[in-house]
Amino acid sequence: MFELALKNILFYKGRSLTTFLLTFISATFFVVYVAFLDGSHESMLKNSLKVYTGSMQIYQKDYRDEGGYDYLIYDNKKIFDILENVDGVYAYTSRLETYGIASSKSESSAMMISGVDFKKESKISELKNALVDGVYQSTQNCLYMGQDLAKKLDVYLHSEVSFVGNAIDYSFAADIFKVCGIFKTGMYEFDSSSAFLNREYFDDLFYSHNTSSYIAVTVDDLSQNNYLAQSISKKLPKDIRLYTWQELMSEMVEAMKVDSIFGYISISLLFFVIFFVILIYGFINISARIKEFGTLKSIGISDTQIDKLLFLEVFIITMVALSLSAIIGGYCAYYFEINPIVMEGMSEMYKDYGIISDEIPTVFDLFTIFWNLSVILFLNLLSVLYPIYYVRKFSPIEAMRHV
Amino acid sequence: MYKTILHLAIKNALLRKTRAALLIFMIGASMSFMLSLEGLYDGMTKNMIDMNLRSESGEISIYAKEYRLKQDIRYSIKNAAKIKEDLAQIGSINSVVSRFKVSGLIASAKKSYPSDLIGVDFKAEEEFGKISEFIKKGDLNLGKNGCAVGKELAKNLKLRLNSKIIFTTQDANKNIKSKLLRVKAVIQTTNINIDNKAIFIDIDSVRNFVGVDHGSATQISIRSQDKNLEQKLKAQYPKLDVLTFAQINPLLKQMQDMTVVFNTISFSIVMGVVFIGILGVMYVSILERIREFGIMSAVGYSYSNIRLQVILESLFLAILGFLLGSVLSLVSLYYLNSYGLDLKEFADGMQSFGMSSVIYADIKIEYFVRTFYAIVFASIISVFLPLKKIKKLNPVDVIKAES
Amino acid sequence: MRYLIIISLFLSSVFASEADDIIKKLDNNMRGESVYMKISMNIKSLRHERTIKMQTWSKGKDKSFVKITYPPRERGITFLSLDNEMYNYIPKIERTIKIPPSMMLQNWMGSDISNDDMVKQSSIVDDYDAKIIKKDGSIVTIELTAKENAPVVWGKIISKIDTTHYTGVEDTFYDEYGEKIRIFSYGDVKKFGKYYIPTVWKIQPVSKKNNLTTMIVEDAKYDEEISDQYFKKSALKRFSR
Repeated sequence: MFELALKNILFYKGRSLTTFLLTFISATFFVVYVAFLDGSHESMLKNSLKVYTGSMQIYQKDYRDEGGYDYLIYDNKKIFDILENVDGVYAYTSRLETYGIASSKSESSAMMISGVDFKKESKISELKNALVDGVYQSTQNCLYMGQDLAKKLDVYLHSEVSFVGNAIDYSFAADIFKVCGIFKTGMYEFDSSSAFLNREYFDDLFYSHNTSSYIAVTVDDLSQNNYLAQSISKKLPKDIRLYTWQELMSEMVEAMKVDSIFGYISISLLFFVIFFVILIYGFINISARIKEFGTLKSIGISDTQIDKLLFLEVFIITMVALSLSAIIGGYCAYYFEINPIVMEGMSEMYKDYGIISDEIPTVFDLFTIFWNLSVILFLNLLSVLYPIYYVRKFSPIEAMRHV
Repeated sequence: MYKTILHLAIKNALLRKTRAALLIFMIGASMSFMLSLEGLYDGMTKNMIDMNLRSESGEISIYAKEYRLKQDIRYSIKNAAKIKEDLAQIGSINSVVSRFKVSGLIASAKKSYPSDLIGVDFKAEEEFGKISEFIKKGDLNLGKNGCAVGKELAKNLKLRLNSKIIFTTQDANKNIKSKLLRVKAVIQTTNINIDNKAIFIDIDSVRNFVGVDHGSATQISIRSQDKNLEQKLKAQYPKLDVLTFAQINPLLKQMQDMTVVFNTISFSIVMGVVFIGILGVMYVSILERIREFGIMSAVGYSYSNIRLQVILESLFLAILGFLLGSVLSLVSLYYLNSYGLDLKEFADGMQSFGMSSVIYADIKIEYFVRTFYAIVFASIISVFLPLKKIKKLNPVDVIKAES
Repeated sequence: MRYLIIISLFLSSVFASEADDIIKKLDNNMRGESVYMKISMNIKSLRHERTIKMQTWSKGKDKSFVKITYPPRERGITFLSLDNEMYNYIPKIERTIKIPPSMMLQNWMGSDISNDDMVKQSSIVDDYDAKIIKKDGSIVTIELTAKENAPVVWGKIISKIDTTHYTGVEDTFYDEYGEKIRIFSYGDVKKFGKYYIPTVWKIQPVSKKNNLTTMIVEDAKYDEEISDQYFKKSALKRFSR
């Protein structure tokens, strides 16, 4: 049977070649397309997470609902110790965020001031890379301020800004800061209300030693994030909760789902058309060979065996095409994952959507490639069903007499 | 003579019924799938742009210089009333509105939120962008102290119809003032700036509240299809910022451009594959009948007649495919245009990116015209190769040869 | 029939004006023409408790000046409320700031009253319609419903007042859906000069069971000459020491 199928494939070059080419092109295209689609989502995600969020955040369980100073994490060290012993955690940092009034000579505005460890932040967030003027890692009463906030307050580098807020025990916290660095992440909400202060000075002013609003964590491998989240959660004290980025950014997750859906629908249009063309070519080819099948039937070959033959023909062509696709498509996905295409200026344009790099990456994932190709195999096999049904309709004599 | 050719063409085209049916169905189904997708994508961007034009910027917006950066009422257009009058004289302008926006804080008994109080002329807004269509709850009979609130803002503050809210801000003399408002309507525009932040009340109320002149405004928006208007207005008002929709919303404009590119590419690819399908069918069908053509040649049938017949065969099938496709497309597009594609499961994600959760398809004559040309072109070109074979025919050889 | 209506209208207007009357008397007691007070405030929250001491000078309804005297870290901080505006001076940084609208609803000094409360002390009479709903011996319960246009977030305030000396007993604040949001209770009435005021005020937010702000009036002097200098912006720095 197998040899017969092979012989037929090589004999009917037109149909075999077209089927092969169409399958190869659509499969390779599918693999590469999905690689880019997934790549763009992952990069959008990484970028938004990278800017400030991190892939997980740890809070006291009531903080996200209540805010204020009553539901902070009061023992950073305990949680740091837990995180230190987890494999796969890339970096973590404690942040204390509070609001107050900032005033310059001419203006005043509400400001969110955060006490951060600048060294650790550079591993977790984009704050360092967002520097546009001045210094990132400053000490003493130096503020690292968002560009739009600086504009609002009408201040520049080395300007003085006074701040009034509350310390952790609700007493007055007030000081005069100097603007030592200015950053721009591109997210207006963030840039127009945030400023950062080094943790040592902040703790002295706000009495917030060993305390956090939350602890941000990033992991080595984003795909392991959920797994790590679970294992860390188990070790945390009862009143402390961990949120993954999916929970923190649920809207973005949904938007990406929608994008994927549209992506798949669009590409299925292509498959739809190709399916029909392969079907038509298969049908034409097979209907032209009715006499041949009639002969086979008359020498005792059963209908089932003919079905098998026809399936085999399509199967062999498809598998050859898919193997080639797997290699070429897979290689492309792999290559561009390592050396992404760079579209200059893209990040400027799309900063508002959280895109901060000019690269267009792909994701190389064996499982994805596998199911992509399986879909095509399935479609091809499906396409030969109608021709098989058609052939079965003929009795051997009718078949041999067929014109 | 031509009647005979046509007659022959049709008879031959329908000779192999299943084959013809498959081809016609392929063309029809692919076309309707493709047009539906195109319609959805176009509809999506058109809707986003339309909502934005109607609810905010219009085709052109005029601001005082520095306003967009500082967002402060100090930078308002002082002679807005006069400008409006002048604009009314320009024939190509369909509608003009002036608005006065002031930023501040909105509070209920439990929560407070930053928001923008936007003073508008509701009658003019109705003419400008049919503001009544944005209303999700309540109506625009605001009465005393009534206001219309953006949907997300209402959700965040847990407001219902008739809820009381207090808006606090600094007036023109930098004094803090508060105003009581009652929610009379909830509006949804999918424009994030409005749904998440805006409260609409009558423009004179805002002017009185804030203490500015009755002729001033922070924004003048214009609806017009005139492409030269921007230049004209820039020249007429050099001291003000005259901006087009594309300049205010570069991302939306980009989205529109990308959709066009995407649709064109997928159209070309799909038509390409359809071409291959038609090619396959016609090629085989002609080659099967090469004896027939040989005999016709021998009998005196000219080559050009054969060519005409073959082209007509191909055209006939293709046009039947087109007709089927048109019917299916119209049904599908009509449904999608009237009822839309309901993605309310992903409502949160979509709304956060400024898209509504129900997508309506656009219907353009272009879709059908373009597809018609492509199909006709494909069907004519596809018989090129087989025709060459016929041309080279030696009638005697053909009759002698086995088919 | 008509008589009944006229009589009830007449009675309710009498009651209404009686309610207004009571409120006015209460207000007068608290404020006098001018009043100087020494107050200690204990602020308790879930995890902290602290005490601050202050001196306050008020004249009429719109002007008040507050100086913090304890703890040492916060000594010298001054607040000035003029009409609807609030100003704040902090000696440590030698700066005066004006509280922007966005901060008006923040808690004052970390307590359970807001900056807005501090500034709008007088608005009860102007912003609410008063109606007596119960009389129990000397305790009168008045329902204060926010006026149509009044820029206040509360729906209504139920105020229990002891008409013996026109001092407050308890004020319950409701939002416009009738949900209890916070309770002010007053006790330990003392006489200062010819005025009576409760000297212990407790403020409890309903949703935060662990929070309680207690203010104790240690001393009060009414209608003494208070210089207008206290109610100018220059006072903030000047009287800080």
